[in-house]
Amino acid sequence: MGLLNFTRDPVPEAVSGDMHNLNQLSAQQFSALTEVLFHFLTEPKEVERFLTQLSDFATMNKISLGPLKNIVKSILLVPNGALKRNLSSEQVRADFIALGLSEEKASYFAEQWKVNSPTLTRLALGQTLMINQLIDMEWKFGVTAGSSELEKVGSIFLQLKLVIKKGSQTENVYMELTLPQFYSFLHEMERVKTSLESFS
Amino acid sequence: MAAVRSAELSALEGLLKAPSRDAVRQLCRECFSSPPAGLGPLAQRACPGLADSPEEAQQLVSALHSLTRHVVYHGLTRAEDIISLFPENFHQNLKNLLTKIILENVSAWRNEAQASQISLPRLVDVDWRVDIKTSSDSISRMAVPTCLLQLKIQEDAALCGNSPVVSALAVELSKETLDTMLEGLGRIRDQLSAVANK
Repeated sequence: MGLLNFTRDPVPEAVSGDMHNLNQLSAQQFSALTEVLFHFLTEPKEVERFLTQLSDFATMNKISLGPLKNIVKSILLVPNGALKRNLSSEQVRADFIALGLSEEKASYFAEQWKVNSPTLTRLALGQTLMINQLIDMEWKFGVTAGSSELEKVGSIFLQLKLVIKKGSQTENVYMELTLPQFYSFLHEMERVKTSLESFS
Repeated sequence: MAAVRSAELSALEGLLKAPSRDAVRQLCRECFSSPPAGLGPLAQRACPGLADSPEEAQQLVSALHSLTRHVVYHGLTRAEDIISLFPENFHQNLKNLLTKIILENVSAWRNEAQASQISLPRLVDVDWRVDIKTSSDSISRMAVPTCLLQLKIQEDAALCGNSPVVSALAVELSKETLDTMLEGLGRIRDQLSAVANK
């Protein structure tokens, strides 16, 4: 089979059979199936919808659902590997051809891949590990009017609540800043923004 | 906080036995800064020479604590206001000396009181770095800048006594999160200016 771009591991044996079955679909059927697949890849949380659409496709085209699911599993190996390895659409096309898919269908799929890859890449980036991700910030500020040590105070305080994602839980961190600290914090954050922007 | 009673200030006359003005000054500072619970040791330490008995020492140190705290609490700034706190027949020179020492220290003491007032944990330091993520298990080549922020937070000083606990919290922010945060901070700044300009 020659070296594939999307994976270095040996491909399951069933795949060439599945590709052969795919070749039997008409261009229209293949295009409809491809649409269903990319709907799922771009919205991976919509599992129910994906399964429903697959089952509808199976019914409409008089294909049994079981074999269809196997075919879909085989097809999905390529885009998943391609995403991980930043493959170009030519490489995706070449891989499908190497797996046994017809040139016409391979080119079509590769085209769809090209169209969808910005969305898919963004999704993959979003899944990248983040440590103690900051997910929310709440604040309030006010004036301290007096205290047990000072009858009249009149100083401004700022309270921040940071919501941090630690593993699968969130943790709230509360803190207080004086006014000079707030301005210094704001200044630092603006410097961070400049730095991040210069790298984007 | 109980108001200082002039009768209790007569205990301060024990300070006439102090070796020097600086000793009086030092004792004033220590008595102000000490919490009420810390006065016992201060009395023992500072007063074998200034008082004839432990009770007298305790009274002296308490009186000094009350007097200094009273002045700071009410924000007294004029000598007359402080002098009027003393009982009528109080030693004139000592009264003037104490008034002078207190006036010298009152604004530093105000700052000290404000710095140690109860609050939520305080932000004491902010450090940051920007990293570029180049690879991950979900995508092998990328160039995503991200910010790591380290916040040093000090627990309430009043709860920890003299050794407050400082914890360091590391937080990661994406560019989008940072932009949102800056938006929020900008709104705070605008509101602060509006309040300041009123």
